[in-house]
Amino acid sequence: MTVTAAPEAALGVLPRADGSAKYSYAGYTVTASVNGPIEAQRRDEHPYEAHVDVIVRPAAGVGATRERHLESILQSSLTQIILVKNFPRSLIQIVLQVEDTPENDYVNTKLVQASLDFAIMPALFQTAVLALLSAGVPMRATATATAVALVSQDGSKTSVVDPSPRDVEIAQSVHVLAFTSQDELLLAESEGDFTVKEWDEVYETAKQVCCRPVPTKEGMEMVLDDEHTSGPDLRHFLRSTMEQKVASDLHWK
Amino acid sequence: MPREAEPSLNEKQFVLQALQDSIRLDGRELEQYRPLELTFGDQYGVADVTLGKTRVLAKASAELTVPYADRPLDGIFNIATELSPMTSPAFEVNRPTETEVLISRLLEKTVRRSGALDTESLCLVAGQKCWSIRVDVHVLSHDGNLIDAACFAVVAALRHFRKPDTSMEGGVLTVYTPAEREPVPLSWLHSPFCVTWSFFGEDGDIAVLDATWMEEQVSSGSCTISLNKHGEICQIAKLGGVPVEAVSLLQCTNVALIKAKDMSSKLDRWLTEDAKRRDKGGLLAELSAENDRVPDI
Repeated sequence: MTVTAAPEAALGVLPRADGSAKYSYAGYTVTASVNGPIEAQRRDEHPYEAHVDVIVRPAAGVGATRERHLESILQSSLTQIILVKNFPRSLIQIVLQVEDTPENDYVNTKLVQASLDFAIMPALFQTAVLALLSAGVPMRATATATAVALVSQDGSKTSVVDPSPRDVEIAQSVHVLAFTSQDELLLAESEGDFTVKEWDEVYETAKQVCCRPVPTKEGMEMVLDDEHTSGPDLRHFLRSTMEQKVASDLHWK
Repeated sequence: MPREAEPSLNEKQFVLQALQDSIRLDGRELEQYRPLELTFGDQYGVADVTLGKTRVLAKASAELTVPYADRPLDGIFNIATELSPMTSPAFEVNRPTETEVLISRLLEKTVRRSGALDTESLCLVAGQKCWSIRVDVHVLSHDGNLIDAACFAVVAALRHFRKPDTSMEGGVLTVYTPAEREPVPLSWLHSPFCVTWSFFGEDGDIAVLDATWMEEQVSSGSCTISLNKHGEICQIAKLGGVPVEAVSLLQCTNVALIKAKDMSSKLDRWLTEDAKRRDKGGLLAELSAENDRVPDI
């Protein structure tokens, strides 16, 4: 199976939604649409802030407990960065449609899986942020997310950034972390056995991926170059995707 | 949930007036489809169909289950259609609308009941083990003519799909993972396509193919014809609307056959292109454990 080496994204792919994005990375492809602020249903209406509704739809089968759990995690972290107080009594609706997930060639997977899959979280999170940006929803900061798996090999543990389904299967623990553009930790979810020291390592690795300083023209990045710069530079990716979109939207100017 | 805004009286009259003069808003001929595009995913059985601004994603998947007690020799084949709020905020999760019910019903009649997929070949051990094939249809964006796009996506996804290979030795059933044996295609018998006509005017004398959402909203009736490239009609659905002359309906079916042939050849071409793209080293034929057979689809 071909796994894309670098993340790819397209903004504004759906003509009728307020904002939309398609994102693919590490074998995952997710399309998101954002509508908002729109009229909220009576039961979701909040007098002081907007209700953020996240819907995760799997590629095959109907959404179940696993999707509900992912939704609740995404909902609570996205509410933190969206300026919900600006839109009282309204609704911001985010629909995430999973299109492709990497396959594990060594097992025949069941259609409905009860187990939690953290490896898909970064893709969902990233697509949601891109779609929110595309819809022009006011946000406190942008955010980037990554998944790290701790795999023990010959007695020593190595951390794998953006693990494949095979890595997740043999991993001791899987973690998903998200950081805002101000380098603040936004989301930290873990699964499996690990010590505090290992978590600190995971934290550092994830921060490396999510919060690399934006390269400046004076050659700031030269210093960082040959250190352990594993994984893609997500913050820079987010920025360049938006820049491209804005440039193509304003080409008539 | 917010209701979808209906077109205003001015808009309606403008569209209808233009159609009276055989002019469509997007400059197409009355019997012309919007550009049809198809992309396959990295996995087998993922088809993404775009028809103008309408976009439908279909994904086929297979699972081992127990066959139904009353049909021990048949596998299970399901088509699941669900319109998410992605299509329009007017759609709610877990609350099927009329459009959704109509689409799943028509797809069911076109693909399942016309025997496009040989369900008997899905049975592994009579009464005990069979494949359950499921196609999920996701409507990403709705700009009219969902049925034709969805049907094309379902057929494309199923023809592209590969299920894990199995073998039966001494009463022991083995299901091979993709790493052990190259997955095998489904036994596919014929490819039906839907062609939808929309009728306009009080006596439905203007017939238009592939209506956009705006046109669908002002139309006075529609008729969906499902047929394959050999001209075998699987079903004709004319649900309500103004009555249409039998002669013009015959004319419609003749045009539908041309369109179905066109769609069929397009799909064949895309499938061979994709097969070539996957078969980089030319090793796929050697890896395959499937028996040779002469398909005529």
